[in-house]
Amino acid sequence: MKAPIALAVAALFAAAALANAPAGKPAPAFTVSDLDGKPVHLADYKGKTVVLEWTNFGCPFVQKHYRSGNMQALQKKYANDVVWLAVNSTNKASADWTDAKALTAQLDDFGAKPARYLVDEPGTVGMAYGARTTPHMFIVDPKGTVVYNGAIDDKRSTSVDDVKSSKNYVVAALDELKAGKSVSTATTTPYGCSVKYR
Amino acid sequence: MCKALTHNIGVHFTLALLAALWGGLPALAAPVVKTEHVEAELVTEKASAQPGKPATVGLKLRMAEHWHTYWKNPGDSGLPTKIDWVLPEGWKAGDIQWPYPRPLPIGPLMNYGYEDEVVLLSELTPPANAKPGSHAVKAKAEWLVCKDVCIPEKGELDLTLQVAAAEPVANPRYQAHIERARNMLPVAPTGWKFDSAVQAGKLVVRLVPPPGSKAPDQVAFFPEREQLIEPAAPQKVSREGDGVRIEMKLADPPPAALQVVKGVAVSDDGWPSIAKKAIEVDAPVNASMAAAPAAATRPAAGDIAGSTATALLFALVGGILLNLMPCVFPVLGIKVLGFVEHAHGEARALRTQGWAFFAGTLLSFLALAGLMLALRAGGTQLGWGFQLQSPVVVSMLAALFFVLALNLSGVFEWGAFAQSMTANLSARGRYADAFLSGVVASVAATPCTAPFMGAAVGFTLTQSAGLAMAVFAVLGIGMALPVLLLSHFPALMKKLPRPGRWMETFKQVLAFPLFATVAWLAWVLGAQAGNDAVLALLAGLILVAMAAWMFGKWEHAAAPWRAAVAVILAATGLAVAWPGPAAAPSTAGIASAAPGELAWEEWSPEKVASYTRQGHAVFVDFTAAWCVTCQVNKRIALHNEAVVREFGSRGVVALRADWTRQDPRITATLAALGRNAVPVYALYLPGEAAPRLLPEVLTPSIVLAGLADVKPATDHLSGLAPSPERTPR
Repeated sequence: MKAPIALAVAALFAAAALANAPAGKPAPAFTVSDLDGKPVHLADYKGKTVVLEWTNFGCPFVQKHYRSGNMQALQKKYANDVVWLAVNSTNKASADWTDAKALTAQLDDFGAKPARYLVDEPGTVGMAYGARTTPHMFIVDPKGTVVYNGAIDDKRSTSVDDVKSSKNYVVAALDELKAGKSVSTATTTPYGCSVKYR
Repeated sequence: MCKALTHNIGVHFTLALLAALWGGLPALAAPVVKTEHVEAELVTEKASAQPGKPATVGLKLRMAEHWHTYWKNPGDSGLPTKIDWVLPEGWKAGDIQWPYPRPLPIGPLMNYGYEDEVVLLSELTPPANAKPGSHAVKAKAEWLVCKDVCIPEKGELDLTLQVAAAEPVANPRYQAHIERARNMLPVAPTGWKFDSAVQAGKLVVRLVPPPGSKAPDQVAFFPEREQLIEPAAPQKVSREGDGVRIEMKLADPPPAALQVVKGVAVSDDGWPSIAKKAIEVDAPVNASMAAAPAAATRPAAGDIAGSTATALLFALVGGILLNLMPCVFPVLGIKVLGFVEHAHGEARALRTQGWAFFAGTLLSFLALAGLMLALRAGGTQLGWGFQLQSPVVVSMLAALFFVLALNLSGVFEWGAFAQSMTANLSARGRYADAFLSGVVASVAATPCTAPFMGAAVGFTLTQSAGLAMAVFAVLGIGMALPVLLLSHFPALMKKLPRPGRWMETFKQVLAFPLFATVAWLAWVLGAQAGNDAVLALLAGLILVAMAAWMFGKWEHAAAPWRAAVAVILAATGLAVAWPGPAAAPSTAGIASAAPGELAWEEWSPEKVASYTRQGHAVFVDFTAAWCVTCQVNKRIALHNEAVVREFGSRGVVALRADWTRQDPRITATLAALGRNAVPVYALYLPGEAAPRLLPEVLTPSIVLAGLADVKPATDHLSGLAPSPERTPR
């Protein structure tokens, strides 16, 4: 009940303060279009684990994880267990804005396989979750509770070489969830470019 | 183009020629690395370095217009600039000395960093045996430069440093840049006091200057630690005496086990006797920091909004409701009986009586509040209800209520000893009596204040003395109001039953709540001073009862010895009841755990910290034996079967903070929670810096709802639960 209200408020004051979706709290509900223009409701995935990946291919931190093949590998590895939603909250006026056609081509080039790619141009979803950076990762458990909020891994850099030697928090969290455990590291500081909000 | 090139060659040639001429002249210019958005260069402060002594060098980044690089805490996004030094054998490099940053808002986010130009200073120290001459040093620098988009860039910067034994001379070429950077380095000011606190989702940092100076009005705080505050949320700066108080929105979740807040405070107006705009702040967390005057918002449901007007309104309503409390009602009942008796008498005299009662109440409240504030100002940690923390006061109150109860039961009449409340009296005696009943009612009311006044009194005690007194005055006014109104509207009085035989019965019935109060006070005394003190009190009360009985029995004997013997007996009784100073505190009656009850442990701040670190939720019951609401809550909510079960299954640790006797640590902790009275119920969850407060009046469902957010601890009560790793950095 609270989440839709928060979302409505966030929509009303899109330029206002960032909300937040801390680990342990219900995930804010949302409805947003994907690359094909089809609506995606978070509620559709109740009962499944959902990964939200804030993304922007113009950002060198995102490029690090796609050039290395890291992000695509995760999307494939967990394809059967989780619903992987890539979210792009870049606004139209930003230099990083990319239209649907070009985005589809980029996804193909990288071999990226998110279940859906959400176009959150007004930034509503990003603001409701308090997404700060690209990448910024959230994991929502089947009950609809945020169980992870933070960075993709512990090496804060744009260097592709760092991917191999870093501890991937999302992998750790998803593996714990799969084993029926609770997520031991539920909050980390996300790193990356700022989300290009309006 | 060609011309410029020739010109450049010319300059370089001249420099090379000069260098050749002057022999050991240092390389003043290092190659500039140009990237798309940044010109980077290493700069030196001095023309040479002495062996074994640090020399300051700087990485100068000149950003393209509107592009920025980042501070050590970049804010919501970004990356701090990194320098890896490649140095000759034996050389050492210090950390980057970060100039203070500027806030760089981007949409709803906030970064901390630098625009235009920044010089990041570091100290390089050649070994003591370094040979004079040229030494090549290299900096591998990486920076993220952003405007709308972000570009990670890097550069390898070379510098030839001269080592010479002579005192180094300044390097004029970069002096201005180095000086600007030095001016932007935060300094550790002397004589300042810093502290910090987490209050209701806010991080408060307080900067107090040394005596005789004043902190600037406008200050911005940049915390060193990431995910401590919401960088984009506006900071609220207010004056506190000569100091300044900065309130920031805490990150959610807040950092666990916060002990110190480090960062940089920047003021464009500068700081007294410091020629810099930025100071280093190292503010330990101070649990007893008082809440801000205008920011007393607390997380508990049903709490006061914190504004002065609300506090005053609460005080008024609370005061009126006090009339119904078991410790006050009998006293008031008698007063009203007195009115009934005189209802048909002189309206003016009645009004004056009402005002006398009003004055008695008001002055008592002010006196109690004044005493408390004075003691607090003197450094004693006291809260509302403090009177009852003294066994002597508890014993004497018990004796007072006992005498009043005996009087109501009809054991004796005051007669000429003191002006009777119902007897035929002179007008003056009646006024004195009305005043006195106001005093008695106020004193009796204090233990009953907590349920209505906890928040308001807590708020009050963080205020200026003037406002605090105003709140207590309004509380007294509220309590005296019904009686005052009654005295002014005799028409209302006509609604009351006519005086008659019923009054005697009613009066006798009123004795029983007072006896009950005595029983309760005896129990409080037991918790404070042990069994022996209770026996002494009861023995003393028997002597007092004898005195009262004698006084009543020979009321009409007109024997001069009657009063004398009664007084001697009563005095002996009080002396017997007076608890000895060495009375042993025994809280066994409070902290014991019967089967099917919660296993309460004694509270300490360290325990709270250690259990939450182990991943347990901790429930703290701030209580006192003299707090009626606390006892009711304990019976109804905390001993409830479902509640006890839920505590067990979720691994919630139950701690009891017993304020029956004075305890400065409890007083300090309550103050940090914005409270100054018990009961307070605080639920500390692992990973949340501030506890959640439950309402002051508990029901099992309220407690269960409060526990609903507690994640079951993995290994409950064994203390072996792994501490969740948070924000690793």
